[in-house]
Parts: sequence; C-alpha cells; structure tokens
Amino acid sequence: MSNSIKNIKQLELRIFFLMILSITLCTLSIQDVTAQEVKKNRVRLKADYVKVMGDDSYFDIKASAKIEKKNVPVSNIDIIIYHELNDDQIKLGTVTTDNNGEHRFIINNFNTIKTDTTNTYNFLISFKGNDAFKKAKKSMQFKDANITTEIITKDSINYISATLRETSTDSLLVDQSLNVQVQRLFQSLRIGEEFNNTDENGTIFVPIEAGIPGVDGNLIIEVVLNDSDEYGTVKGLVKAPIGVPIVDESTFDQRTMWSPRNKTPIFILIFTNLLIVGIWGIIVYLISNLFKIVKLKS
Amino acid sequence: MNAYNSLVKDLAPKKFNKPSIIWVLFLLIIIGAGLIAYIDQLIKGQEVTNMRDYALWGIYISNFVFFVATSFVGSVTVAILRLTNNEWRTPLVRIAEIISVACIIMAGITIMIDMARPDRLLNLFIHARLQSPITWDVIIIPTYIVISLLLLYFPLLPDLAILKKYYAKTSPKLSKWYGKLSLNWKGSKAQKAIQTKSIKVIAIMIIPVGLLLQTIDAWLFSTTYRIGWDSTNFAPYFISGAFVAGVGALVTVIYIVRKVNKLEKYITDFHFDKLGKFLALACLTYLFFNINEYLIPAFTAKKGEAVHLKTLFTGLYATLFWIVTIGGLVLPIIMLLFKRGRKPLPMFIIGVVVVIGSWWKRYIIVTPTLLHPFLPIDGVPESWHHYFPSLHEWLITFATLAMAFLIITLLVRYLPVIPIQRTADEQKISVSEKKSES
Repeated sequence: MSNSIKNIKQLELRIFFLMILSITLCTLSIQDVTAQEVKKNRVRLKADYVKVMGDDSYFDIKASAKIEKKNVPVSNIDIIIYHELNDDQIKLGTVTTDNNGEHRFIINNFNTIKTDTTNTYNFLISFKGNDAFKKAKKSMQFKDANITTEIITKDSINYISATLRETSTDSLLVDQSLNVQVQRLFQSLRIGEEFNNTDENGTIFVPIEAGIPGVDGNLIIEVVLNDSDEYGTVKGLVKAPIGVPIVDESTFDQRTMWSPRNKTPIFILIFTNLLIVGIWGIIVYLISNLFKIVKLKS
Repeated sequence: MNAYNSLVKDLAPKKFNKPSIIWVLFLLIIIGAGLIAYIDQLIKGQEVTNMRDYALWGIYISNFVFFVATSFVGSVTVAILRLTNNEWRTPLVRIAEIISVACIIMAGITIMIDMARPDRLLNLFIHARLQSPITWDVIIIPTYIVISLLLLYFPLLPDLAILKKYYAKTSPKLSKWYGKLSLNWKGSKAQKAIQTKSIKVIAIMIIPVGLLLQTIDAWLFSTTYRIGWDSTNFAPYFISGAFVAGVGALVTVIYIVRKVNKLEKYITDFHFDKLGKFLALACLTYLFFNINEYLIPAFTAKKGEAVHLKTLFTGLYATLFWIVTIGGLVLPIIMLLFKRGRKPLPMFIIGVVVVIGSWWKRYIIVTPTLLHPFLPIDGVPESWHHYFPSLHEWLITFATLAMAFLIITLLVRYLPVIPIQRTADEQKISVSEKKSES
C-alpha cells in the first residue's frame, strides 16, 4: 500500500516537472517567433542632383525613416548608386550615410556618362536593406543644362547677365525661374527679385546693388536654377571685383594685450623689462652695499 | 646703571615668558592642523575645497589679497615717515617692517596654496605672458619680499652690533649670531654713510613698488570684465583699503608688543593718537572709494550688475556687507574722531575690528562676483550655485594666519622692536656719554 502511494507521488512529481518544462519551452518559442516578427522600418531615400558650372556634379543623398511617428535620419547604411542605360545598371559607387543620414556623392567623369534616346540621364539610388530596415530605391531622371554668366557694367551700375541652355540640344530655355544670390559665410544673400524668369533669349538681366562687402572686394555671385523637375539644380558662378573690400579687423597676427606670449606688445616688453631690470638693479646695488659695509669694518 | 645701558636693557629682545610659549604652541598646533589639511589637499586635489567651476577663487584668494594689503602699508608707511623725517615714527617703524615681511611672505605662500598643482609653479615663469597681470604678480611679490627684507635689515645693523655686545657674556651663542648678522658694524662714518644712503634708496623705491604691488593686485580683478570688478577705480580702491588693513594691523600688533615687552615708556599715548589720526584718515579715504565703487553702479547698473548689488545690499551677502561697512569702517571713523577713541586700549579694539572687517571685505570682493557669471549658472549641481569655505580651506587659511603671527612673534623675540641706536641718538645718549658714565 505504502509502495503504491510512493509510486503515485513520484508520478505526480514527474508530471509536474514535465509541465514546468513544457511551459518554459512554449514561452521561449513564442518569444522567438515574436522576435522574428519585429516589423522592419521603411527607409525613405531622397536625392537631389546639383550641377555647379565649371565644377563637380553631385547627388545630395539623404536617408530617413519614420519611427514612432517621428522622422529620424538613418545613419551608417550603405547606399549604392547606379547609372541606368537601356536595361543595364552600371554601378558608380557605394556611400555610407553619416550621423545625419546624409552623404554627398560626387559623380566623377560626368561627361563620359551617356543619356538615353530622349537625352535624359537615368540613375538609381538603392539600399539593399538590413536587419532593421527594408530595402529601398529611388530613381532619378534629369536632363543636362548649362548656365553661362557674365558681369556687365552700364552707366556705373553692375548687372549680371545669365543664359540658360539645354546642353544636348543647345536650345535656350525660356520662362525658367532663376535665383541670383551672393555667396556669404552661412547663407547666400539674394539679389534682385525673388523670381527672375528667363526671356525669349533664355537670359536674365539683374542689377547688382552697390555696397555689398566682399573679401578684397570680390563677390562670388551665383545664378541658380533651383530644384527643377527636368534639370535638377544648376548653379552658375561668377567672381567679380565689384564689392566693397572688407577691412580685416582681426587682431590675430597683431601684438595685443590678449595675444599669446610671442606676440607681446613692444611697449609692454620694453616697459616691463625696464621696470624689472631697474628695480632688481637697485636691489643688487643695495646688496652690494651690505658687502661694502662688511669690508669697512675698520 | 647708566642711561645707555638702561635703554639697551629696555629695548633688547626679551625671552619668551610662559604666556608667550603657550601662544607659540597654540600657533604651532594651528599650523600643524593646516599642514595636514594641505597635504590632504595635495593628495586628493582641490575637490576637498568648496571651490567649483564658478567660485574658482575662494577664501585663499581673499586671504592672499588681505596679506598683500597688510604688507603694503607697513613698508610704505615707514618709507613715507622716514622721507618726511617724522621723528615720532621711531618706536613704530620696526614693528611695521616686521608686519610687512611676515605678510608678504605669507601672501607668496598663500597664492601657492591656491594652485592645484604647485609642482607646476615654475611654469609661471617659463611660460609667462608679460601682458598678464598674473605674471606681473608673480614678478612683483618676490621683488617686494626682497625689498621688505632689506628695509628691515639695513636699519637693524647698528642694533645687531649693540646686541652682540649686550649678549656677549650672558648668551655668547646669541651674541655670535648677532655679530654675524651685524656685518661687523662699527658705526664708522663710512659705514653710516652707506647705510643712510641705502635706507634712503629703499624708502624711495618701496613707495612705487608698493603701489605697483597693490595696483597689480587690483588689476588681477579689474582686467576680467566681471561684474563688481570691472572698475577703473579698483587700484586706488585697493590701495586705500590696504591702508586701512595695514594701519589696523600695525595698531593691534604695537599694542600687544608694547604690553608684553613693557614698552609703555617708549610707545606712548602720543604715538597711538598719531596712529589713530592716520587710521581715521585711511578709513575716511576708503569709505570715499567704497561709496564711489557702489553708488555709481547703483545709478548706472545694467541688469547683471543690479543683481550683484542687490545681493550685497539686501540679498545673501547683505548681513556681512553691512557689518563690514558699518562695523569695520563707519564706526571706527566715528570713534577715532574723538581723542578718547585714540587712547591705546580703544585703539587696540578698533584695530582688531578693522583688521577682521578688512579680511571679510576681501571675501565680499572675491566671492559674490564669481557667483554672478556672464551666463546664468545652469545644468550644474545645486551646491555649485553657492560658496562657503570647506573645513580644509578654513584649516589652511587659519594656518597661514598663524604662520604670519609666528613670523611676527619670532622676529619680535629675536630683534629689538624699537630701534636702539636711533632711540639713543634721539635721546642724545651717545657712546662717549656711555663711556664717561661707566
């Protein structure tokens, strides 16, 4: 009797142990499934094409994602840039986004890149995806345009003349809005009207107001076709010596009271050293007098 | 006993009596406690103080300014009295010179205590920028120490020779030391000529050097643009304040030395009366600069400065400010205007009050300004908003004060506090008279 009771108790213990084990395993497996089902976020890719006349052409790429209803930059992801021609994809390079989710990709040898039959350039910006983000793509199409700029002086007034052309057909682009601005340290300074539309000659003609300061009197004036759907952003630059020279008020290289020790003002050097030498000279004289007193004992 | 021997006996240094020994032991205990605190500060760094990012000059700097002020007056007062041939100066000058030496030595030590890394002291010379008032301070303090020592030493030479003879039988060892220090002084015409000329040169030199010392001390503050310090008046303000602290200290020490060494015959009520008038003048001048320093900003103050003035007049530091101004300046002036106030005991009390007031005045000059920086104090622990010295700071500061007292006590013990030869000359007790009488 007692043996059978003992057996029943042992059986109950085994069943209890198995139940605990199965509950633990179930919990772990559910957790694993849940973990695998974590939703990946979608990356939004943005790319702006910018062409600077006489300089580089580049893409300003930005990756962001909406996480918990907030738009946050996606940093440290690899983005590949392809040139698409017919059905071929030619890889131009890979970039990694910075802490702001941004990177500037400079298109090397832009002249060697071919257009399609409609004179349009086709690019693909691609992200292959990773553990946290889904893959994403962004296609870009644009035509090439040029801006030629020139400074003209009439009746002592300086004007900037700029002409916009489509490169492949060499045709003038009419009724396009161009911005005219002077490069400044933080943000460009707009000149003239907000909208300067090109005339039938694809040209704008904007007076430059007098008195704009520039280093050595030089102004760098930009004429910008801004974020055009067809041509992207195109910038024409012209450097003109028509500004008011900025007087450099920095005392960095001067001898001042606040400069480092190797730039001590001369008057301080002279005056302080004269004082030190004068006072210590007298002190030495006084001490020598003590020796004279010793010698004069008789 | 003839008049000369009686004079020498009166003015020769006295051995320590029991209270003096207790006094020295008391000072040594305080210095010992301060030394332990300083070693701890060296090991742990200045985190043991309550100085933080804002109150980065605390009690050490106010103590330093106090020492500089007190040292300045002793020497300059002596120099002015010497150059103007004021004969009543004789029993007072040496004590003033002793105070000067003690205080300027302690000023130098105190500024080193304030350095978190005293092992880098040499860098102040190696990497000195001659435009910086700190560099000027580093140069002027050793210079002033040397000049103060010379001002004390040159007039001592005849007295050391006298003491050599005086102690020849009773204390040959002491006599030997006095002999060495007297530089074989025989009182010959040539020796006297060199000594007189040297004293005159020092007296002339120490006035501009003393003014430089105080001015540089003031410029350490006023060149910083800080509220409460940004003042073109700061140098004369500091100089006039130094006269108050210095004459106050002089009166206090003279009273004690007179009592302990029984010098009532030599330091009389007349001398206290003169010093009282001098102290009253110093206090009045300082009061004028105080009014100048606080009244004009009260009219012209911008927001930041108005907050600073409010803190002093009615805010956190108001109690201390008014006690220092009224108790340490206005009341002494009123008391000193009466002849009774210029008697020895009232003068002693006034001297003590003025010195304590002067010490706290430096604290008020240094601390509140530091707690009103250009940008609001933000994002730091609450304790950084306020400053009151830590136990380490108090122990070290008291130790520096005790060291100054110890230097004064030891110099008073071994040097004649009243010039013997000069007093003999003034009383027309000549050596020949001494010889004929004997």
